[in-house]
Amino acid sequence: MKKNETVLVAMSGGVDSAVALLKIIEMGYKAIGVTMKLWEYNNVGGNVLKENNCCAIESINNAKLVCERLGVPHYTIDFTEDFENKVINNFVDEYLSGRTPNPCVRCNSYVKWDTFINQADKLGAKYIATGHYANIEKNNNEYKITRGKDKGKDQSYVLWGIPKETLSRTILPLGNLRKREVRQIAADNKFENAQAPESMEICFIPDNNYKRFINEYAKDKVEEISKKGTTLNENGEKIGENDGFINYTVGQRKGIGITNPNPLYVKEISSDKNSITVSEKKSLFSKECKVSNINWLNNKITLPLNAYAQIRYNGQISESKISDNDGSIFVTFEKPQLAVTPGQSIVFYDEKESLLGGGIIELHES
Amino acid sequence: MIKTNNLYFDTAATTPLDLRVAEHMHEINKDIFGNPSSIHQVGQKSHNIIERSRKKIAELLHCKQSEIYFTSGGSESNNIALRGVLKSGDHLITASYEHPAILDVAEYLESIDVEVTYVKPNQDGIVESQNIKKAIKSNTKLVSIMAVNNEIGTINPINQISDMCKEHNIYFHTDAVQYVGKREINLNSSSIDMLSLGAHKFYGPKGIGAIYIKSGVSVNPFIFGGGQEKGIRPGTESPSLISGLCHALEIAMEDLEKNSIHVNDMENLFLELLDKTKIKYNVNGKSRLRGIINITFFDFDGHSLLLNLDMRNIAISFGSACASGTAKASPVLLSIGLNEDIANKTVRISIGKHIAENDIHSLVDALEGIIIK
Repeated sequence: MKKNETVLVAMSGGVDSAVALLKIIEMGYKAIGVTMKLWEYNNVGGNVLKENNCCAIESINNAKLVCERLGVPHYTIDFTEDFENKVINNFVDEYLSGRTPNPCVRCNSYVKWDTFINQADKLGAKYIATGHYANIEKNNNEYKITRGKDKGKDQSYVLWGIPKETLSRTILPLGNLRKREVRQIAADNKFENAQAPESMEICFIPDNNYKRFINEYAKDKVEEISKKGTTLNENGEKIGENDGFINYTVGQRKGIGITNPNPLYVKEISSDKNSITVSEKKSLFSKECKVSNINWLNNKITLPLNAYAQIRYNGQISESKISDNDGSIFVTFEKPQLAVTPGQSIVFYDEKESLLGGGIIELHES
Repeated sequence: MIKTNNLYFDTAATTPLDLRVAEHMHEINKDIFGNPSSIHQVGQKSHNIIERSRKKIAELLHCKQSEIYFTSGGSESNNIALRGVLKSGDHLITASYEHPAILDVAEYLESIDVEVTYVKPNQDGIVESQNIKKAIKSNTKLVSIMAVNNEIGTINPINQISDMCKEHNIYFHTDAVQYVGKREINLNSSSIDMLSLGAHKFYGPKGIGAIYIKSGVSVNPFIFGGGQEKGIRPGTESPSLISGLCHALEIAMEDLEKNSIHVNDMENLFLELLDKTKIKYNVNGKSRLRGIINITFFDFDGHSLLLNLDMRNIAISFGSACASGTAKASPVLLSIGLNEDIANKTVRISIGKHIAENDIHSLVDALEGIIIK
């Protein structure tokens, strides 16, 4: 890599991206800090004055202070329209069709590694860098993503959807650091955000209450479907009523409201019928699932393929076989998996923990 | 002038402090601290600095001393004018491309049942007197039209409009923050009833401005307190800020002709040099105050142009800025009939008295480097 080339560093205002910026400077690059403004608090609800998360003015201001401290320019660039079209609308639609989306994955695939890369072109920057805990390794002109050194923080799971050709332009400076090391570096360098709290699960839902968010954001659509729903057993028989399917996620145990000798879990959600199917835990395991929107990050993939699949962020991996059945991709798990949730990401690794690709989980067979 | 490493082409946003003003204020800050309302001599010193400033400013603007009220700046002056005169049931006529310090006040006034008509500028960026006349109703109480538009620099016929308003017995206010210090003004002989100005647009300090209120115009305050500024704008006054405003205006009016010739020359040079490049551009608006150049570069996105220039330490402006530092296509440009695509390729380059010929050369070289490559 040639030094003195420009790197656009994505700055959320948090501690990770601040340290990522420092590392980029230490590597000898010319850095520009950029905060992507993804949404307006005014549009998504929550408390405007109390919160201190990314895209809040305070976070953007912290990013600016860190950039000034390190002597690099900082710009805030408005991506709200893109983020709304590509991430928030999809998030709402997915929930309204009874699925459990993963907005961070979509943001990476369609905003950070698309709009943000385009911004790098406009500013004459060859590379982009982010504070994700994952690595990019180069081997014989092939780039691959591997897990971050800090296993508890590894974020390779949310990177499966980024376009393969952008890997050569991406630097992930935190891949070989642990979170506590990052915090220490931030404190040693007196970064203004060294003590900033961990960011939330979903950045545009500051109070973490996604039901409140959907109710406010998609009021018209929700009114039709917020009626009482039916609760079914595995045989399709009505065994009770519920607050409407929108309030449930596959694998959820709380709020089912039916007494049973063993605890009951949500097994399936039907938005069409406004019903949830509940069962005991043992019925929640699946041997197989269908996968859509598949993205491969490796040139040499041929199906069928044996790989390690991970069906949730920070989840366990399981040996599995990926096969192509008339154009549909199916994954068969060596060991049946609990609560394989439609809408969530399924991510594949090889035996060396390098990321092969991933896709979106579709309805699975029992 | 305050020293900066950057080539600063954003004087319509704010100007650097004239060093003579900075030194003048520093002297006052060192010696004068009394509360202007205090009876003792320490207080009297502060009081007299303020009143001497008021007298001088009145002379420079050709009005009475009693007609000048000090405020925190242009926004506050605009608030005083609109909120001080209008009550529910009244009708306000303003322009659709005013600064937010007028438009947001108008929006608030609508919420308390003031009727508002937003007159559109023509495609040259000028608000025509006849269009205002057409909007007048029986309950029209106030017309507020900016003297110079802050984004495109077009000069409105405020004397003509204010005369017409006088004939109809309607108050006329003008937001003149981009005008004062750049053109002669004679308030005595005009029909302008109220005028807002801010010191930081003519090399004075930020945080101080004034409103001219013609004798006889009745204005109700919306800030209450110790009765300073005849109750129109209570709060302990700052002698150094007020005197800084006065000194900056004195310098501006004294150098008016010199500065305006210089800025004119610099703008001509800029456009001449641009014509020698392959850059495709258009300057928007007619009948402009020279030095505020609203310019479309057809082959480059305006926001990216700003960032690319900034990385070369050259400061210009794009769109309407938000608190977070982002910017969107300017509503002003949309209001003069530019489409969103063109508006997104349009930036504002404003030239002040501190700009020298070689600065213009550097700017055009940088533009060529970025746009043509």
